[in-house]
Amino acid sequence: MKKETELARGVIVFILLAVLTGAEFWIAVATQAWSALFALALLKASLVLQYYMHIGRLGSDEGGH
Amino acid sequence: MTAATAATARHADYRYKIASNRLGLWLFILSDSFVFIGLFVTRFYLLGNHRPHLDQALGLLVTSVLLLSSFCMNRAEVSIAHGDRKNFLIFTLITLLLGLAFLGGVVGVEWPTAAREGLTASSGAAGAVFFMMTGMHAFHVLTGVLFLGIVLNNGRRGLYSAEKHWAVEACANYWHFVDVVWIFFYPALYLIGTVAGG
Repeated sequence: MKKETELARGVIVFILLAVLTGAEFWIAVATQAWSALFALALLKASLVLQYYMHIGRLGSDEGGH
Repeated sequence: MTAATAATARHADYRYKIASNRLGLWLFILSDSFVFIGLFVTRFYLLGNHRPHLDQALGLLVTSVLLLSSFCMNRAEVSIAHGDRKNFLIFTLITLLLGLAFLGGVVGVEWPTAAREGLTASSGAAGAVFFMMTGMHAFHVLTGVLFLGIVLNNGRRGLYSAEKHWAVEACANYWHFVDVVWIFFYPALYLIGTVAGG
């Protein structure tokens, strides 16, 4: 994958994580909905696992380093 | 065996080693995550719909700092994967500094503030849960910072390249894991439930 593409993806994931964190805070203040807070935490963790930790590379030698 | 064949064999050997290393790292992360899952469950078992009285602004700030550090770590990893050593060193250093800022925020500010307001490890279930969860997480942040320091030092000595940077990938994954843990701990400690007494 091209460097620019990877860097852009990193930025998009970061923005999504920041927005979701803001949403979490707002939900906690406004509604205290446990299920929504859990769902948001799971979504944020999935984003990090998929795009920052590259869980899909597990068991492969992709990346070549 | 010709020199070219030997080089190909060495390369194949190295790629196989990387796949094994990745499996080992993920098994370590999985086993380590059980400690945090245990603490997470303990929080809800002991406190239920209550949470410790904590500084909301500080909680959001340290969460943002850790999130930003994950972004910088990703940038450092992408940089070295494309042979950009300068940006790799810059973003690794920023990640390390953000990690120290997170530690300062939690251990240096949040802990004394909580203690002044009567929330200590022995003041009750809320205090025990808060200090155990943040303490165990802060210990992992500290080891992550040490790992980052080693990677930064090795990077300065030119030990990593676009072709060979397994240690950077391992360090990045460990750092992101610490972030994932906080993604669950932050709402559990700061957001969910009503404020409990010490």
